[in-house]
Amino acid sequence: MVWQPMANPYLVVEHLTKVYERGQVLALRDLSFAVEKGEFLVVIGLSGSGKSTLLRCINRLIEPTSGKIWLDGVDVTRLSQARMRRVRRRIGMIFQQFNLVDRSTAIGNVLTGRLGYLPGWRALLGWFPKEDREKALANLERVGLRDKAYVRVDQLSGGQRQRVGIARALMQDPEVLLADEPVSALDPATSHSIMQYLEQMNRHDGATVIASLHFLSLARRYGTRIIALKDGQLVFDGPPNAIDNAKFKEIYGEDAEEVEVR
Amino acid sequence: MGYPEGYLSERPAWTTGAGIQDALARRAIAARRYLGVFLLDAGALAILWILVSYVYAWYVLGTTAYTLVPWWAFAVGVVEAAAVWGSFGLSLGQRLLGRALGPTQGQEASSGARVRYFLLWHVLVLPGVGFLFDPPLHERVTGLGLRPRGTEGVAPAPWYRTSAGLFVAALLVVTCAAAVGVTVSWSALVRLFRQAGETVDFWRALVSPDTSILLDAGRDMIVTVFMAVLSTLFAVVVAVPLSFFAARNLMRGPLGRSVYTVLRGAMSIIRSIEPIIWAIIFLVWVTALRSAFAGILALWVHSIADLVKLYAERLEAIDQGPIEAITSSGAGRLSVLRYAIIPQIVNPYISFTLYRWDINIRMATVVGLVGGGGIGQRLINYIWGVQYRQAGTVMILIVILVWAIDYLSARLRAKLA
Repeated sequence: MVWQPMANPYLVVEHLTKVYERGQVLALRDLSFAVEKGEFLVVIGLSGSGKSTLLRCINRLIEPTSGKIWLDGVDVTRLSQARMRRVRRRIGMIFQQFNLVDRSTAIGNVLTGRLGYLPGWRALLGWFPKEDREKALANLERVGLRDKAYVRVDQLSGGQRQRVGIARALMQDPEVLLADEPVSALDPATSHSIMQYLEQMNRHDGATVIASLHFLSLARRYGTRIIALKDGQLVFDGPPNAIDNAKFKEIYGEDAEEVEVR
Repeated sequence: MGYPEGYLSERPAWTTGAGIQDALARRAIAARRYLGVFLLDAGALAILWILVSYVYAWYVLGTTAYTLVPWWAFAVGVVEAAAVWGSFGLSLGQRLLGRALGPTQGQEASSGARVRYFLLWHVLVLPGVGFLFDPPLHERVTGLGLRPRGTEGVAPAPWYRTSAGLFVAALLVVTCAAAVGVTVSWSALVRLFRQAGETVDFWRALVSPDTSILLDAGRDMIVTVFMAVLSTLFAVVVAVPLSFFAARNLMRGPLGRSVYTVLRGAMSIIRSIEPIIWAIIFLVWVTALRSAFAGILALWVHSIADLVKLYAERLEAIDQGPIEAITSSGAGRLSVLRYAIIPQIVNPYISFTLYRWDINIRMATVVGLVGGGGIGQRLINYIWGVQYRQAGTVMILIVILVWAIDYLSARLRAKLA
């Protein structure tokens, strides 16, 4: 796969490699691609193909072994921890397993999205400014959970919990949204509702979305561009409609059958 | 950045630092597997031998003996027995480590191959020479090696048809025989039944309470509860911060790992010394007089060690998801602690603390028996003074107290779950 330079790249991944366990596992091999501002990039591939590792390398929840990641002209792989925290504030993330604090309320979880903007002592005291509290309620309103604001999140359904996760990411006013298989734990109908919130953030808030998805049908429906990983290598990079049957077999293996999510 | 390139390019693995490290690690893993099986087998056989000798000497010869043969014969016998067991059967060590001796290729190990393996075992495995090679030299020469034990195919044999099952059964029987020989004598058994009538006065005294001491005993009970409350509270203050340093998942890196190891080691040593022994130590340490203070210190030290272990194990079981999420929002380390870790541990910590308080109420009584103050001290004074009516009263009070605290703590903990 030859990487074509872009006119105005926003996120550039260069020769990204991640090696686990003393070289036994190669999660990402020499991965290079670029993303323009405002794209909805979908990463597809089988389980274990490196999708999660790739997303976590971008905000350095996982330290890349080698390679560079340029975000808005800054090489994030070289930043100190303190500077990295300032970059992370602008990168929202939602997760397959939602990663909420179960014992806390919905609004308590949503407010944690603001922690990067709060001075340390205020964060420790839990003293969030009034604007943040209002913003949290507004974001819960936006995902349709205003009435569940003071309910503990372990009382909520899967779809509701993922919406709390989205509201938490919205608190960061993210320029980039990383979504690690956001709908894998949800049923098809809920999946579309969640994906539509992501689409809305992409279209209206101008966030660049990078989402990993299992289902090609969801990727085709929501992505403006698709990249495919196989064994940590880039095997496809192009518009959604360019994935034909042959390409599909190459990505998912000979035995795979495409499944529609409606 | 040279290290991953070694894997991406066509350079031979042994020319890179990581490649050499891997090669060494593979040899070490193989050595640990074979020697682990051997040590388990030899250790188990040695224990069985010693117990059998002991029982035989005790019941048949009427003396005390541990090996019945010279020590060198014992050592050679154990090593050879372990070698035979490991070469020709599915030994205990192989079962425990989930391995079996099988061919590197093909289905079944021939008996000729097993004999060759048994002989070569003495030259290559026992001295460790074979592990200089990868795969180990004896695997190459005999074609046999410790493979992961396959679970497919034939149904597993019942325990009495396996050598390891029979071995464990024999070990249990001989252990019981030896234990009975050491602790129980025939004459004591006879007395247990014949002299039951002589304790009647004692039982009668116990169930005819002396109400005149209730006020004094009540005061001592309050002291006991105070001892438990104080020791638990002060233990929490120390144990909560320590628990973070004793959690494996939070202590990464060489420095962190050594702090973790030292702390957990120290805590298990402290915990293995019972509160009653700590009470004796502190009685000598803080005062010549008998006092509740020494009892509190004893319970405090033991509670710290116990709580650190309970707390740290809970910390090790926390969900990593919220940590990941809060970190990804740009929060600092303290915020991650405050928002991702602490909410997950508050209730379990309170629950463990209540549980320990409940234990400390009972332990405070026991600590009193050696002079650590409180109701226990009163009880032992009555017993030594042959005041059985008063002792009986105190015992009834203790039962009521312990039952009430037990019930209270269980109810509170159920609420927290």
